[in-house]
Amino acid sequence: MRCTIETHELTKKFALQKGFTDFFLHPLAKDEITAVEEVNIKIEKGELFGILGPNGAGKTTLIKMLCTLISPTEGTAYVNGYDIAKDSGKVRESIGFITADERSFYWRLTGRQNLKFFASLHNFYSYDAEKRVDELLSLIGLENRADDRFLSYSAGMKQRMAIARGLLNDPAVVFMDEPTKALDPGAAQNLREFIRERIVKEQRKTVFLSTHHLGEAEQLCDRIVIIDQGKIKVIGTIGELKSDLHKPNPTLGDVFVHHTGKEFKEEMAEHPQSGRRRMVHGMHGGRMRGMRF
Amino acid sequence: MICKKAFSFIRRDLVLATSYKFEFFLRLFFIFFSILTFYFVAKLVGGVGMAHLEPYGGDYFSFVLIGIAFSGYLMTALRSFSESIRGEQMMGTLEAMLVTPTSASAIITLSSLWNFIFTSFRVLMYLLIGILLGVDMSNANIIGAMAILILTIICFGSIGIISASFIMTLKKGDPINMFFMGTSELFGGVLFPITVLPEWLQTISHILPITYSLSGMRHALLQGYSLHALAPEIIALLVFSVVLVPSSLLAFRYAVNKAKVDGSLVQY
Repeated sequence: MRCTIETHELTKKFALQKGFTDFFLHPLAKDEITAVEEVNIKIEKGELFGILGPNGAGKTTLIKMLCTLISPTEGTAYVNGYDIAKDSGKVRESIGFITADERSFYWRLTGRQNLKFFASLHNFYSYDAEKRVDELLSLIGLENRADDRFLSYSAGMKQRMAIARGLLNDPAVVFMDEPTKALDPGAAQNLREFIRERIVKEQRKTVFLSTHHLGEAEQLCDRIVIIDQGKIKVIGTIGELKSDLHKPNPTLGDVFVHHTGKEFKEEMAEHPQSGRRRMVHGMHGGRMRGMRF
Repeated sequence: MICKKAFSFIRRDLVLATSYKFEFFLRLFFIFFSILTFYFVAKLVGGVGMAHLEPYGGDYFSFVLIGIAFSGYLMTALRSFSESIRGEQMMGTLEAMLVTPTSASAIITLSSLWNFIFTSFRVLMYLLIGILLGVDMSNANIIGAMAILILTIICFGSIGIISASFIMTLKKGDPINMFFMGTSELFGGVLFPITVLPEWLQTISHILPITYSLSGMRHALLQGYSLHALAPEIIALLVFSVVLVPSSLLAFRYAVNKAKVDGSLVQY
C-alpha cells in the first residue's frame, strides 16, 4: 500500500538572481542553488512526522513542493496517493497548510468571515460552510470572539485561527510550518498537546511538522528527519537516532550536532513544561476541551 | 458553484471596502467633480468641432461623458487583476489561497469582480448625473449597449489578465499596463473623436479595442443604433475577444507555472 506521503529523489534547484553586470556580460550563464536534493521519505497514515534543520536547510521548500506551491526540478512525490505534479488539484483537496504567518488572514474581517471565505475556496458554501466554521471555532475555543475583527486577536488567537483554517476541508494530511514560532511557551505547549491529542490521536490525520525546536520534535514526533543544505542527514524515531550515537544519555541536540556538525540554537522550547506552568495562570482560565493558547 | 464562490469574493471585498468608510464615500463624492469639470469644458467648447462630433449626436458633453464613464472599465481591468495579485502577495493571503482546490486563475479573476461591480456602479452614477445635466438618452438601445458592454468587459478583462501575468513574472514594470494606459486616452477616443487625429495616427486607434467599445456605446446610448447598425463595433470586439481570451489564459498559465518553478509565487 502506498504511504500517505512518499517522495522519490525529490530535488529543487533555484536559479540565482543575476546582477546587472552578469546580466549583460553572461546573459546565458545559469547559476543555480540546490535547495532540496534527492529527498526520499515515506510517511504512514496517522503518523506525526517532524522535519528538523537549521535556517536555509530546505524545510520550507520541501513543504511547499508537497503543497504544490513550488514545482520540483527533479523527482516525484505523492501526497495522499496523488502525484504533486500531475494531480496538484487533488493534492490540494486533501491537505491543510498551517503556517505561523499571521499576515495570511484579512485583518479587517472577523474571524468567522475569514473562515467562511476560506471555506468557500474549499467548496464549502452556505449551511455546510457555517456548520464547519462553527465546529472549528468551537474546536479552537474561539466561539465567543468569532465576530470580532481579526486585527483585535492576540498572537495565540491568530495561530488558533490558522489551525482552524488548515482543518476546514477535513484534510487527510496537515502540513505545519513552525506552528509555534510566534507563541509564548505556555501557548506553544498547549498547541503541541492539541496537535498530538486532537489532530493525530482523535482525528487520525497525518501531520508533517517543520520545527526549529528540538523539544517540540522530541515531545511530538513519531519519527523525525534531520535535513541540512537540502540533504537528508538521518531519519528515524527519536529513540533510534539517540541509540545510534552509542553514548550515555544522549539528547536530540547531540543527534543534531552529530549529523549536521552545527549547534542547534533554541530558546525556551527545550523546556516547554516549565514555560507553560508559568504562563497559563496568567491567561484566561486555562485549557478547556478546545484549545487555549 | 462558481456563482457561490464569486459571491464569497464579492462579500469579502465589500466588507473590506466598506471597512474603510471615508475612502469609500470619498471615491463616490469625487465622481461629481469629474463630471462637473467636463460639463463646464463642454460649455466652453460649445459648437467647436461639431463636424467631428456629428456621428455621435453633436454634443461634446454627451460624447465625453460616455468616454470617461466606460473607459473606467479598461482602467479597472488593467489595474484590478495585477493589483489583486500584488495586494494578496503583500497581505500574505495569496499562499493560503493557493493551497486550496480553487485554481489560481479563478482566484485572480474572482478577486477582481468587486472592482468591476464598483466600476459599473460608478458608470451608472455618471450616466444618471449626465441625464440630470441634460444628456439625452431617450432613444438608447439598451440591448445593444449591453452587448457592447459584455464584449468590452471580456476584451478589457483579457488584457488585464495578460497584464497580471507580467506582474506574476516580473513583479513590477508591466509593459501591457504601460502601453494601454499610455495610449488609450490619446488614441481610443475617450476625450475627443479619433477623426481629430491625423490619418496615420488613426491606424493606432483601430488596433485598440477601446476605440470600438466607446464608439459602439455612444451609438447605442446616444443615438439608439440597432444591433444591425452596431455590427461593425460588435464584430470588431468579437474578433478581439477570440484572440485575447485564449491568449490571456495561456499567458496566465505560463506565468503561474514559471512562478512555481522559480519559487516566486508569493514574492512581491
